[in-house]
Amino acid sequence: MNAKRLEIARLSHRFAFGPRPGEFAAALAAGVSATRQKVLTVPTTDAGAALVANPVITDLGVRPKPNTPEIIPFVTGMRNQTEQLTIWWLDRMAVSDHGLSERMAWFWHGHWATSITKVDHPLAMYKQNQVLRQYALGNFAAMSRAMVNDAALQYWLDGQTSTAKAPNENLARELMELFILGVNRYTEDDVKALARVLTGYQLSLNAATVLVNPKRRDMGAVTLLGQSSTFTAESASDYLVAKADCATFIAERLWYRFISSTEEMPKNLSAVGAFASREVAPAVASLAQDGAMSNPKYSMVKSPVEWFISACRALELTPSKLIDSKQLINHLNKLGQIPFYPPNVGGWPAAEAWLSSASAQYRIAFASWLIKQSPLRALNEIPVDRRVLASADWLGVAQWSPRTQAALRNALGDPQEFTLLALCSPEYVVSA
Amino acid sequence: MDTVTRRKFLQLTAGAVAVGAAAPLLSVDEIAAAAVNRPLAAGTPIVVMVTLYGGNDGLNTVIPYTDSLYFSSRPEISYKADTLLPLDAELALNPAMKGLKSLWDQKKVAIIRGVGYPKPDRSHFSSMAKWQTASPEKHINTGWLGRWIDTQAEDSMLAISLGSVLPPLFAGAKRSGSVLPLGGLVIPKGSVATNCLQLAKISRADNSLMAAAATSMRNLFSVSTTVQPILKAPAPVAVDLPVTNGGNAGGDSNLAQQLDVVAKLIAAGSPTKVWSVSLGGFDTHANEANAQAALLGSVSDSISRFISQMKSTSRSADVTVVVYSEFGRRVVGNGSQGTDHGTSGPMFIVGEKVNGGFYGDQPSLKNLVNGDLAVTTDFRDVYATILESLLKSPVEPVLGKWSGRTKFLKA
Repeated sequence: MNAKRLEIARLSHRFAFGPRPGEFAAALAAGVSATRQKVLTVPTTDAGAALVANPVITDLGVRPKPNTPEIIPFVTGMRNQTEQLTIWWLDRMAVSDHGLSERMAWFWHGHWATSITKVDHPLAMYKQNQVLRQYALGNFAAMSRAMVNDAALQYWLDGQTSTAKAPNENLARELMELFILGVNRYTEDDVKALARVLTGYQLSLNAATVLVNPKRRDMGAVTLLGQSSTFTAESASDYLVAKADCATFIAERLWYRFISSTEEMPKNLSAVGAFASREVAPAVASLAQDGAMSNPKYSMVKSPVEWFISACRALELTPSKLIDSKQLINHLNKLGQIPFYPPNVGGWPAAEAWLSSASAQYRIAFASWLIKQSPLRALNEIPVDRRVLASADWLGVAQWSPRTQAALRNALGDPQEFTLLALCSPEYVVSA
Repeated sequence: MDTVTRRKFLQLTAGAVAVGAAAPLLSVDEIAAAAVNRPLAAGTPIVVMVTLYGGNDGLNTVIPYTDSLYFSSRPEISYKADTLLPLDAELALNPAMKGLKSLWDQKKVAIIRGVGYPKPDRSHFSSMAKWQTASPEKHINTGWLGRWIDTQAEDSMLAISLGSVLPPLFAGAKRSGSVLPLGGLVIPKGSVATNCLQLAKISRADNSLMAAAATSMRNLFSVSTTVQPILKAPAPVAVDLPVTNGGNAGGDSNLAQQLDVVAKLIAAGSPTKVWSVSLGGFDTHANEANAQAALLGSVSDSISRFISQMKSTSRSADVTVVVYSEFGRRVVGNGSQGTDHGTSGPMFIVGEKVNGGFYGDQPSLKNLVNGDLAVTTDFRDVYATILESLLKSPVEPVLGKWSGRTKFLKA
């Protein structure tokens, strides 16, 4: 396989959400190094993203009692705001000029995976999303401090019920296991100690605000990973983030989502060292420059949202303009991935989990639905006799196999079917 | 409540456990054809593994209802004694488990108490990996039933897991169990179908994930409309359960749907010796009582319905159901009307081969280990018994030299 095409395809599909028509050919002409630089450099303004209006997400107050006249407008309002929030994010992914910022917000959403199914308040989810965006390529210690005080995460992990008298370990455990250090890098006593530190939160879920009630907080000294101190939630977060295991763990998670979810991270990966100051951007840049980027061994399956957004970009579709939002969300739901609805605190699965016969079927149905709504401008502009090979550039595919080329040749007379086959091909479903 | 599902577990163990590429996704017609052409020999034992994801609170499942420590340890989430289903003078079942209580009264339920492993791990993912790999000391890449599959003649029908992803339980070193999606599959038609089949061909240019993508497409098409009837046909009749609203009691939970498919395929003669089904949602850190009761009700109703369905087939005497979860929960409630991650818990073994009753010691509420229930039975004792006495297979290739056994089967 052509190493240059492979690396540019990976930069485009993994560090962003895939090319719009013409972008892949332009990147090939610019070369790997210039393309990487472009992918990693966040522009001061993003004209594409600026086209997406921010959603109107408001405090709808405390949930009225069941069977009252007030409950109906409340529930309708919640539903509308949730739908608006979901579509807003999909739009940003699909129309931003620069993909990495959205891609990193998406990564962190899967990392601090919080689901609206339990939180049930779109404002809290929206505020959490703002935090993830603010620090997406910034300082992880600051992100972690902000997340510990995030209303949605606190509610999701039962923080508001954890008191000095009866600490609840849910948040403390996941903070160490899934968010900062990784499993088995702490003891059960550390979980109990951190649970005591994190007691006393009270929150208003509808306003998405948290405060600490000193009467409910355990102010005593605890021993956390060998150090005895009277921690605050913030100092405990800083302390954990400063541990060497944090750099290993965050590098492992970046590796898992950007390079390979099937092969283990090499121990000496340079991204670990690049995370020394706990700045995210250098770690991501280090991954993008890693030799692994041109190693064919490290293929990745596109998750359903990633597959859908890359198709939108190639087909010049805007999610909010599709007919209609409910159908769109239904398609994503069948494939098993909707933003703001991760299955659990561990985030979404990866690799073969997205490759069942059922998902093959749902992907075909979803692709047909999308294709009907696109003029397929970019494809139609390619002369028919060049379409099979040139469509790889259109979609940012490193290389079509002879098998897929044969299928595409059979469909040359029907641009819609041609596109359907291309989007459902193993080479498009998987980032080589 | 954080619903810990199998997906979460798989996602976190995917790097370590060999799942996926080697796991064939079965189509309905493969199963149906195998069932018709080479049905499981009459009298062959069948094991159905039921995995409860999230950590089921064993102390509110099999309840020490005459122990005052039970009530004083968890005042917010203990059940009133008079609502419980007594099994003997000390233990009672959760009020939601009427179906299992009835099977217990028929001596078809073994309850193994205090099951776990040394040095309990309170991470969902690690603990479930230990249960499924049966290797508590060392992290390994194969499941205990996967290693059993390795010892058997190659047959993609031998072990089938319901759902769309393969549990590590069924991952072997050489071969793995198969996966059957729960819902039916709809095949595209016309030229799209022809061309999708072309896309599904194996290409030498494929890496393993692309090959898996092509395989998933191929399997979609291998579903033949002529054999869909097996899954479209009604499930075997549950002979001794009341019929409610056009269906048998407990028929609409996801676990019941999975067991329904298992029942249909067992009735059709599928040459499958081991099945895997699962239910998630047991991670009850808060507001436990209602959530857990609903889940246990679903477990109890769907298993008793399944056992009843087996009576209208010729396999009733062959089937044994095994229920487990990755850990129990803390004895003391956490103040959020819930419980945090704990250690040991009860296992249920259900079927006509079972010698009903209690096995293993009930962990004491007085002598706790770091505030947790002691482990009184190692899960390898149970697995060894399943291998040796049910599957008639040597224990050593699967569990190494393991001498412990739990005699919950009829002699």
